[in-house]
Amino acid sequence: MRRCITLFVVLICNLALQSTLLQHIAVMGVVPNTALIIILSMALLRGSTEGAAVGLFAGLLQDVLFGGAIGYYALLGMVSGYLAGKFNKGFYRENYFMPMVLSFIATFLYESCVFLTLILFSGNLDYPYFLTHLILPEMAYNTVFSILVYRILFSVNSAIEEREKAKRRLFGIK
Amino acid sequence: MKFFETYKKQIFLLLIIFLAALAFFTTGSRGGSGPLGSAAGFIVTPLEHLSSSITSAVGQAISSLTHEQDLAEENEELRAQVALLEEENHRLSLYEEENERLSSLLDLAQKYPAYETTGAYVIAKDPGNWFDVFLIDAGWNKDVMTDMVVMAPEGVIGRITESGPIHSQVLSILDSRSSVSAMSLRTGDLGVVRGDYTLMNDGLCRMEYIDADSEIMTGDEIVTSGLSDIFPAGLTLGYVQEVVTDSNGLTKYAIIAPAVDFKHISSVLVLSDQRLRQEGQTESTLPPSSEDADASSAPQEQGGDDA
Repeated sequence: MRRCITLFVVLICNLALQSTLLQHIAVMGVVPNTALIIILSMALLRGSTEGAAVGLFAGLLQDVLFGGAIGYYALLGMVSGYLAGKFNKGFYRENYFMPMVLSFIATFLYESCVFLTLILFSGNLDYPYFLTHLILPEMAYNTVFSILVYRILFSVNSAIEEREKAKRRLFGIK
Repeated sequence: MKFFETYKKQIFLLLIIFLAALAFFTTGSRGGSGPLGSAAGFIVTPLEHLSSSITSAVGQAISSLTHEQDLAEENEELRAQVALLEEENHRLSLYEEENERLSSLLDLAQKYPAYETTGAYVIAKDPGNWFDVFLIDAGWNKDVMTDMVVMAPEGVIGRITESGPIHSQVLSILDSRSSVSAMSLRTGDLGVVRGDYTLMNDGLCRMEYIDADSEIMTGDEIVTSGLSDIFPAGLTLGYVQEVVTDSNGLTKYAIIAPAVDFKHISSVLVLSDQRLRQEGQTESTLPPSSEDADASSAPQEQGGDDA
């Protein structure tokens, strides 16, 4: 329960920051997608199920406030969380390399999906333009931001896990 | 919980299908935001309000430190301009009086009525990079409804695509999903101002479907034509930066520099009598700028603009 509430607060705060503060530090008009990084980080730390849940909720928030269709970003977020969760096994948590590489690749796939579904069908075929002006800068930006976001979430997650462990010991579960 | 673990894959697949269907059916225009959007708005709007006011205050403090000299100069320039404009305003108000008198003689309704406006602050921008959508801090609580026109003092910003209890979503004219029927003020040539992805980041947009014979040129002011249901006639959209003939040679398009500086919008005006005007117009397919009374004269008027 505490885990749900914490993640809820993290996602709400992220949306508020991403749509206000981060707009001011946009490079080449590109804003880092911290929501995606949070989804990836949680998936790496906790596995597919929780990754999918975080992705679903983060996407839904963006959908209801900014999106044209409800469920679009939710679907994208959920699938990215689920797939990223596959790397949860056999991954050394203190290592920052994995979140960075994953952010790099996932951003490419995520934004390419947006292009394929939303932009291509509105009649714009100029993929090379978007690749160089939007997707590549965002990949770089997200990779840099993933260090910071992962570091924060790592601490948040450790704090929650510590608490859960204490509770389990208290009630003698496992 | 056991059930969930065993059927994890199936649940996941079902959710995917459900979300895809939901996205498919909710694409396109949604009037007001649903209960979900309203709830999210109630939680997020105050936070965004706080965050954006802090960041803008800090930004202003920094820029006021760095631009003090520029500001003093600009202030002087503006003062001179105000004096000029005041004089001109005075002259124009005489024209307005005369116009009113003459049109009352002709029994015509006012073509450009004075609009009532509601002020609002921009509190958030779309977190993604593909679209140009932002939120303002006025909703049903200030009688801001879907399809109202959003403006800055310089010109049109966009329109409301969705309104919630305390926030509304604005689609700017730079967004590729937006198109506004427009007209060149000098020549009267009609066209459609649309957002374009490749121009969006430079703060520009395109005016398409301009007749190849038109004499539109760089520097011309582009205003809304009043042929749309949403935008009333005569609102400034921007100025022509470049005119290009399409590859088919039949039409031209123009690159438009909007009158509003889209990078630095912090407060907006919402034209608030839109809804009332539209209700009066629902039965007729006339341009919204004309009242029922001048039904016969309206088409001629538009034709005159074309020529």
